[in-house]
Amino acid sequence: MEIFHRPDNHRLICEHCPLILPCLTVNPPYTRAMSLLKVDRLAKSFGAIRAVDGVSFEVRPGEIYGLLGPNGAGKTTTISMVCGLLKSDAGEVMLAGIPFGSDPKKAKSIMGVVPQELAVYEELTARENLEFWGRIAGLNSATAKSRAADLLDALSLADRANDAVKNFSGGMKRRINLGCALLHRPQLLLLDEPTVGIDPQARMNILEFIRQLQANGTAVLYTTHYLEEAESLCNRIGIIDHGRLLAEGKLNELQERISGDRLFILEANFNGASPDNWPDFKEHFKVIQKTERQLILAATSPRDPSECLKELLNLPVQVENVTLKRPSLNDVFLQLTGRDLRE
Amino acid sequence: MNRILTIGHIDLRLFMKHKSAYVWLFVIPMAFVYFMGFANRGQSHAYNRTPPVLIENKDTNFLGRIFLEELKAQNMYVLSPTNRETAARIIRIPADFTEKAQRLQPGKIQFLKGQDSGEADTALIEIRLVRALIAMNGHLLEARPGTTNFPPFTEAKLREVMARPDPVVLDATFAGRKPLPSGFNFSLPGNLVMYLMMNLLIFGGSTIAAERRNGVIKRLMLHPVTRMEIVLGKIYGLLLLGLVQIVFFLAVGKFLFHVNLGANLPGVAVTLIVFAWVAGSFGVLAGSLNAAEDRVIGLCVLTSLLLAALGGCWWPLEIGPPVLKTIALCTPTGWALQALHQLISFGSDFTAVLLPLAVLCGFGLVANLLAARFFKV
Repeated sequence: MEIFHRPDNHRLICEHCPLILPCLTVNPPYTRAMSLLKVDRLAKSFGAIRAVDGVSFEVRPGEIYGLLGPNGAGKTTTISMVCGLLKSDAGEVMLAGIPFGSDPKKAKSIMGVVPQELAVYEELTARENLEFWGRIAGLNSATAKSRAADLLDALSLADRANDAVKNFSGGMKRRINLGCALLHRPQLLLLDEPTVGIDPQARMNILEFIRQLQANGTAVLYTTHYLEEAESLCNRIGIIDHGRLLAEGKLNELQERISGDRLFILEANFNGASPDNWPDFKEHFKVIQKTERQLILAATSPRDPSECLKELLNLPVQVENVTLKRPSLNDVFLQLTGRDLRE
Repeated sequence: MNRILTIGHIDLRLFMKHKSAYVWLFVIPMAFVYFMGFANRGQSHAYNRTPPVLIENKDTNFLGRIFLEELKAQNMYVLSPTNRETAARIIRIPADFTEKAQRLQPGKIQFLKGQDSGEADTALIEIRLVRALIAMNGHLLEARPGTTNFPPFTEAKLREVMARPDPVVLDATFAGRKPLPSGFNFSLPGNLVMYLMMNLLIFGGSTIAAERRNGVIKRLMLHPVTRMEIVLGKIYGLLLLGLVQIVFFLAVGKFLFHVNLGANLPGVAVTLIVFAWVAGSFGVLAGSLNAAEDRVIGLCVLTSLLLAALGGCWWPLEIGPPVLKTIALCTPTGWALQALHQLISFGSDFTAVLLPLAVLCGFGLVANLLAARFFKV
């Protein structure tokens, strides 16, 4: 069994500003084998709408697990049930091996939640906000003050500590929103689309901060509908749509689900011709997406790409262009759902 | 417990960050207290107890001085001679006042009143003047040993008589009828009760609706905090806000409007704190039942005005039909005002407000439980 144990005196130095970040350090002895969060066949309906339908996944210590799906896929409903805001119709949530319902207070003290909304007091200063949420998390006044000061440094907000949050930019507000969940140094951080509505620079800062949290031992459950974020940030990804977890795994594992690691983009004038009618086509290729002038294809079994190219050029249509590319998460999503995640 | 206090303290800080809070806590209520008290001032009002009067004592002998003392003993505010031009009422003691009294000849005190002297105040001075004269005549008759001696009395003899206790005194009690609270004695508690209810309803209701909209309530629930702790924290914050207004009202009432809070101040404070708890609980309930802030504010303004009118904050219930008194007993404002008038205007002790306090506690408990029951995330 592989054991991770961070020494108490561990310090992380921020790359952008040479600050010591003791506030980000989590020190529980844990093993990679045990799951910090285990979600088992979770289900929730709102009237006739099945918002979450038997979702199961687990988040292991120190990893970032991404829940990727379009708006309305069931991500927020899932995360609401995980953190106890919403009662599930079926299924179970276990935190560090303990069922959530058996000791909600303990479970809530293990996790920190960053809601999608900017749930902070905008009239208060950044420091007042952090100290307040620290006290609510159960810290005493002195500890809350000290950790708030550390976090302000870590979030690069020390120079604006005494300004009212309402005067902050969108990115700064998002950072404070994130910081308010970290005062009690949670082992598991739940982030519900934390980068919605902010500029790319601010988004990069937040993603970098989350990587630092991970480096300090915090496990993260991260929901998003941004493919790039899931690809660049998450160790494992679960793809969710219409309340169902369609696939999960590491990025390369998901890519391999499209029979190999190549996609072919075929541009041609199809003139109403259907690939279903082409001889031997269905045995060798599967259609990921079809438009009027474009077909995105994957080989049904791993084969030499040059062989595939030859076959494509011999199709009974006038091929104008063939492009080879590595499948993206969007392609995986396309294959799984038949629609584009960006739609 | 710590979390309840933390939520309450942060809420008070947030309330006081709104500039409008100062207007609704201090400025507008005080303006209403002044105008309603001024328009509704009556005989029992502290402002009228010592109406000013100029006394011209032309008698240089001792009887003029003694009569002046009798007048002052009747609680009159005697103007200095430099205010002669502005004096609306004048009492004139003639130069031969002592001499005529000693010769057993009738003397005359003149009472002059100007056009704008004010009927109520002038009548009050006239009554006091008559009382002073009756007392003076009594003392003179008692001090006179016989009809032949001259002078019939000396200053020393007269003062000796005056120092004796009166053989007969009046012991007046109210038999089923009480004087109406009036002036600032009425307007201060009336407005305090109305604005406490209005501010705590509006601040409580709108804050909870806003925090539910922006996700703060949801975020609170994500921490190891129970729903009841959040409700109690919110009510505690409103109670603190109410305390700010209570302290301000009582200080201004005591020192600026001279409202007689007297020995019953602790009773007044307890009544107001219990009422603030009731109003705060209703505020949280209002925020729990309504999602939209503007709807909450509209509902709270209407409710508080209705409760103020029915509870007797705008006019004494005694001047209306008996059914108004019955309706007032269905409102927390009515019970709060009943207790405050007992303590402030009628001089009752704390035991007289035990029933109103018990009823207010009932209102508070019910509102508390409903607020916790309907509190939404």
